[in-house]
Amino acid sequence: MTHTLDGIGVTPLSGVGNVVWYDGEVELGDPPAPDTVDADAERDRFEQALGRAREEIEAEREHTAEAVGEEEAAVFDAHLQFLDDPQITGAVEDALDSGLPADHAVDEGFADAIEQLEAAGGRMAERADDLRDIRDRLLRILADADRVDLSALPEGTVLLAERLTPSDTAQLNPDRVAGFATVVGGRTAHAAIFARSIGIPAVVGVGEALLDVAADTEVVVDGEAGTVVVDPDEETRERAAESRDVSVRHDRVETADGRDIEVAANVGTPAELSAAADNGADGIGLFRTEFLFLDRRSPPDEAEQLETYVEALEAFPDGRVVVRTLDIGGDKPIPYIDAEEPENPFLGVRGIRRSLGLDEELFRTQLRALLRANAEAEGDLSVMFPMVATVEEAEAALDVVEEVASELDEAGEAFERPELGVMIETPSAVFVGDELAARLDFFSIGTNDLTQYVMAASRQNEAVDHLHDPRHPAVLRAIHRAVEAAHDNDAWIGMCGEMAGDPALTELLVGLGLDELSMSAVTIPDVKANVAETRTDAASALADDALAASTKSEVVATITHNT
Amino acid sequence: MSERTVTIVPEDGLHARPASVFVETVNEFEATVEIAVDGEDPVAANSMLAVTSLGAGHGDTVRLIAEGDDAEAALDALEDVLTTPESEFDDE
Repeated sequence: MTHTLDGIGVTPLSGVGNVVWYDGEVELGDPPAPDTVDADAERDRFEQALGRAREEIEAEREHTAEAVGEEEAAVFDAHLQFLDDPQITGAVEDALDSGLPADHAVDEGFADAIEQLEAAGGRMAERADDLRDIRDRLLRILADADRVDLSALPEGTVLLAERLTPSDTAQLNPDRVAGFATVVGGRTAHAAIFARSIGIPAVVGVGEALLDVAADTEVVVDGEAGTVVVDPDEETRERAAESRDVSVRHDRVETADGRDIEVAANVGTPAELSAAADNGADGIGLFRTEFLFLDRRSPPDEAEQLETYVEALEAFPDGRVVVRTLDIGGDKPIPYIDAEEPENPFLGVRGIRRSLGLDEELFRTQLRALLRANAEAEGDLSVMFPMVATVEEAEAALDVVEEVASELDEAGEAFERPELGVMIETPSAVFVGDELAARLDFFSIGTNDLTQYVMAASRQNEAVDHLHDPRHPAVLRAIHRAVEAAHDNDAWIGMCGEMAGDPALTELLVGLGLDELSMSAVTIPDVKANVAETRTDAASALADDALAASTKSEVVATITHNT
Repeated sequence: MSERTVTIVPEDGLHARPASVFVETVNEFEATVEIAVDGEDPVAANSMLAVTSLGAGHGDTVRLIAEGDDAEAALDALEDVLTTPESEFDDE
C-alpha cells in the first residue's frame, strides 16, 4: 500500500524507480589468533593498501573536478590528508604491533578517529563520514574485493543506503539513477551537495523507517517535498516521471508565441565550461573571475588572464560570454592586496569600488586581457562591473576601458571593445537605472545581493532568512523598474542570481520582461523547457498580479495558483 | 621555538578545504608545528584529524608553535593559509 516517509529534500527534482539497496561496508570476520599472523607481511599489506588508496583517490579527484566541479573535488584533498594522518596511521600501526591482521588493524585504527570526530559534533561529525569512506576503501582494497559499480546500476534505479560517502556519490550517473535516499545525513553533507551539483533527486535523513523498504519496491523520491513515496499511486508516479523527463536542448528557445529568451550558465572556473555546454547553455551569463586571483600569492599577469578568457569565449563560439570584473569585498581579502576589515563588509569597499580605487592596476590589467581576448577568440564578449551604485562609477569604469583601449592601440596590440554593462545589485542602481542604461549596453540583475540590499537582510544571518527572498513585492518591483529602464534605453537585461535558475519562477521572469536568464548549469534543461511552454501574454498577466501583490505570501499564492 | 597568533579568515573556519590546505602546507616544511585554540593544549598540526577536531571557526584566534630550522618560514606560509579566504564565491 502506498505510504510516505519524510526526510530532508536536497534537490528540487523528483524521480521514480525501483529500489536497490547499497551497503559500501566490508564485513570483517573474527580476527585470527595473534601467533598465526605474520606481522611484517601485514605491515607491508597495509603500506600497499595506502598506496593504492592514494592512487584511487587522486583518480576520483580528477574525475569529480571534470564531471562535477572543482569545489566538489576538494573533498578528496581532505581524504588524501586523512590518509597520511600520523595519528590515524599510528593507531593502525599500534594495532598491527599487537598482532592484528591489516584489515582488523585498519578497522581498529579508524574507530577511535571516527569516534573523536563524532564526539566533537556539528560539522566535525560530518567529517566522520569521510573517515568511514577512507576506512571502507582500505578494507575493500585489503579484501581484494570489487567495488560495487555505482556508475553501472540499471536504468531507473532508486538507490537506498544507510549513508552515501563522497566517493559513492561521485560515481552516480544521473542518466541511470532516478534518485537516492539515505537513512542519515543533512542538507550540507557531501552526498547532498553532490546530488545538487549533478542534478539527482535526493532525500536524506529519512531515518530508520527507510530500512523497511524492500529491494525492487517502486518508490518516488521527491527532493522538493523531501519525501519518499513507497508504492506510489498512478498520479504520483506520473508526476515524478514527468519532472525527470526533461531532455537537454542545445538550440535556443523561444516562448510558445515566439519571444527569444537566452538561457545561459553561471560559471566560477574554466572547468565548469563543459558542464555548461553539456546542459545546453546558449552562452555564459556570468563568468566569475575571482578564481584567477584567489589562493595565490601574487596576481595573475595579463597573459595568464588572456588565455583564460580566450578559453571561455571559445567554449561558446556562437554565443555570448558575460565576464564580470573582479568582485572582491572587504570580507574577502587577498594576500597581495591591501586588506581592511570593516565593520560591515557588504556595505564597504567591494566590487567596482575597489576596482576604481585600491585595485585599479589589477582592474586595468584585467581589462587589457579582456579586450585582447575579444579580438583573439570567436564568440561575443560582454564585460560587466559589479556593485555599481552611481552613474559616476559607471562613467569612470567606461573611461578606464577607453584608456586601456588607447594604450593597446598605441602598443599595436589587437583588441576589440566588448559590450559593456553593470550588475544591478544595489537599490541605487535601480533608481538611476535610466541614466545607467543610457550609457551602457546591458544590465544583469544579481538577485541575491539585490534582495540583501533591498530587504536590508544579510545573506549570512539565518535569523533573517525569511526576508532574504526575491519573491517579496519590493524586490519584484525593483526588478520591474530595472527592466523598464533597460528597455526604454535599448539595453538588454538579464538575471544571474539564484532566482533565475528556479524553474517555478520562469514564467514570472519572462512576464517581467527579462531577455536573458543565467543559472547553474544543472537547471538549464528545466528552465528551457519552461520557457518553451510559456505564453508571453499569460506571463505578463502573472507578472502584473505579482507586482500588484502587497505581501510575499500573496506573491507566492499568485505563482502557485497559476501552475 | 617560534610562536604566532593568527585570526582565521576563511568563512568555513579551519574545516574542509582550508584544513586540508593547512595540513598540506605544514608537511612542506621540516619544522615540527603545533596548533592550539584559546586555552587548550596544542595538537600536532600535521594531523588532519587533530586539526579538524579543533573546530576552529571564522574569526577564532589560534596559536601556532613551530620548532626547527625553517620554523619562521613555516609560520609565514601557515599565516597566509589562515588569512586567505576560500575561493568560494556565490555573491550575485
